[in-house]
Amino acid sequence: MKKRKERIDRGIKVRSTDIFALSSWREMIYLALPRLLPIVGCLMLPIVLGVYWQKVLLSVAVFALLAISWDILAQTGMVSLGQALFFGVGAYCAGVLNHYWGVSPFITIPVAAIAGGLICTLFLLPVLRLRGIYFSMVTLIIPIMLVRIIEATKIFGGTEGLSGMTPLPSKWVEIYLIMGVLLTVLFCFRRMLDSDYGLVLKGISDNDRSVINAGINIYWFKVQSLFIAGSIGAFSGAFMTHVYMFVGMPVFVLDYSILPIAAAVVGGPGTLAGATLGAFLLVPMSEALRGFGGLRIVLYGVFLVVFIVALPEGIFHYIQRKYHQFERWVEVEK
Amino acid sequence: MLEVNNLMVFFENALALNGLSLEVREGEIVGLIGSNSAGKTTLMNTVSGLIIDMKIKEMRKGGQRITVYGNIIYDGEDITETAPNQRVKKGIVLSRERHPIFPESSVMENFKIAGYLRSKTEVRETMDFVFTLFPPLVKLKNRKAGFLSGGEQQMLAIGRAMVVRPKLLLLDEPLLGLSPLMQKAVVDAIVNLNRESGITVLLSEQFARPVLPMVDRAYVVENGMLTLSGTGPELMNNPEIKAAYFGV
Repeated sequence: MKKRKERIDRGIKVRSTDIFALSSWREMIYLALPRLLPIVGCLMLPIVLGVYWQKVLLSVAVFALLAISWDILAQTGMVSLGQALFFGVGAYCAGVLNHYWGVSPFITIPVAAIAGGLICTLFLLPVLRLRGIYFSMVTLIIPIMLVRIIEATKIFGGTEGLSGMTPLPSKWVEIYLIMGVLLTVLFCFRRMLDSDYGLVLKGISDNDRSVINAGINIYWFKVQSLFIAGSIGAFSGAFMTHVYMFVGMPVFVLDYSILPIAAAVVGGPGTLAGATLGAFLLVPMSEALRGFGGLRIVLYGVFLVVFIVALPEGIFHYIQRKYHQFERWVEVEK
Repeated sequence: MLEVNNLMVFFENALALNGLSLEVREGEIVGLIGSNSAGKTTLMNTVSGLIIDMKIKEMRKGGQRITVYGNIIYDGEDITETAPNQRVKKGIVLSRERHPIFPESSVMENFKIAGYLRSKTEVRETMDFVFTLFPPLVKLKNRKAGFLSGGEQQMLAIGRAMVVRPKLLLLDEPLLGLSPLMQKAVVDAIVNLNRESGITVLLSEQFARPVLPMVDRAYVVENGMLTLSGTGPELMNNPEIKAAYFGV
């Protein structure tokens, strides 16, 4: 008798998708667990970890935000290679406000997030009509160009950068600010992508002509998505400015462009949660590999390649599938 | 020439082909009549081997699991596990549904890509033959394939399959989206190429009216199973076929 593997939803998944979810604790926990886990994790980690790993956690959160911002853009059909642009513009906005006018970090960070988003949108407005690799190339080039402009014209401190920023009041404010923002961004924008608005964005990447045929101005939606992604990136840049108390040319470095993409791909693109999960794996791993010295990048690269070949759907999709579905062997009739 | 035995294809839990068996003899034109979701395209993909590629891709990204049971015998050889490019070398060539052309390349370039396996003189000869089959293509040699009309794209698609010099030509819905006049031109061309170069043809179609007169034999597929088979004239006079597939 021939057999094949069947993949079906778990009973608990089916029961907990509607009002019956309220009928037992088990169903409620099944629903709540995936939501509670990241919340509790993000809030508990800073308390559990030591001083060094708390600093690592800050950059994990920053890369997670950049990865989310990349994912939102990718969902709208714009594959960006220049998350460093968003990061750097936000960092310089906050730095300039704080350095020249002495504005408090609690004002510079939100202002830089909004203004950074606007500036990035303006930068990329002319290339919005380009698709695929052309858009990627332009986003890759702009941060490199900005670095050279700062170097050549010596504006904003030139090669030395601006230092002596006001730090945030305490390390607990620092860490819970970024964790709070990360969780808010993650849950809000996940909800947004599931809404009708998010469907339009996904539709643009799937088949933009059909979206136009639905009477939607896709360029206006692309601008909005660009602004959202830009703001998230600019926020993380502005935040890091006040953590390092310094802003300079390194904010445009290629790491801020490449690592978020790696995080999103390893975690599973398209879900935002996958991007976050990827950042939470990759950044600490790159720290843990520091002991290997020069071999660190090699090991890191090997890990990435193995992951992409073996599990191209991403960790998050895999876990999600295992959580909701199970497999069993069934006999093929006839 | 081609023998399909008890073919079952699952897309995850959905059964696309349910124990389908059919036979194509050398030099025949065999029709495969069925409505939407009958399993025509799945059969074509399975015979041409594309399903092996789809299976691996889906498996890699954790998508739908595709399961294939049964076997395909071509020229007395079991090719169920043979890779699609190897099947092309053996002479099985599929022209996929919906004008599968390279839209960014010109008509000539499209032919040249298809003729990669063959020598230049062979390609030139076949191309001359294709141009006699489809005279409208001659004027469009240098136009980008994406800017051709639907009918011209379909001619190009069949022509491209021809340039590979198949022994068994699989045509998946060659008449899709064509006007009755265009349909007639394509049907005539298919009959011509079968008569003149002796290529065996297996084609699938939703409407029986344009297809049945030209085929030697035809199979009717419903829900992944064969329900009827017979020669063209036999099926033409079958009242069930008239009701279901003549689209009156």
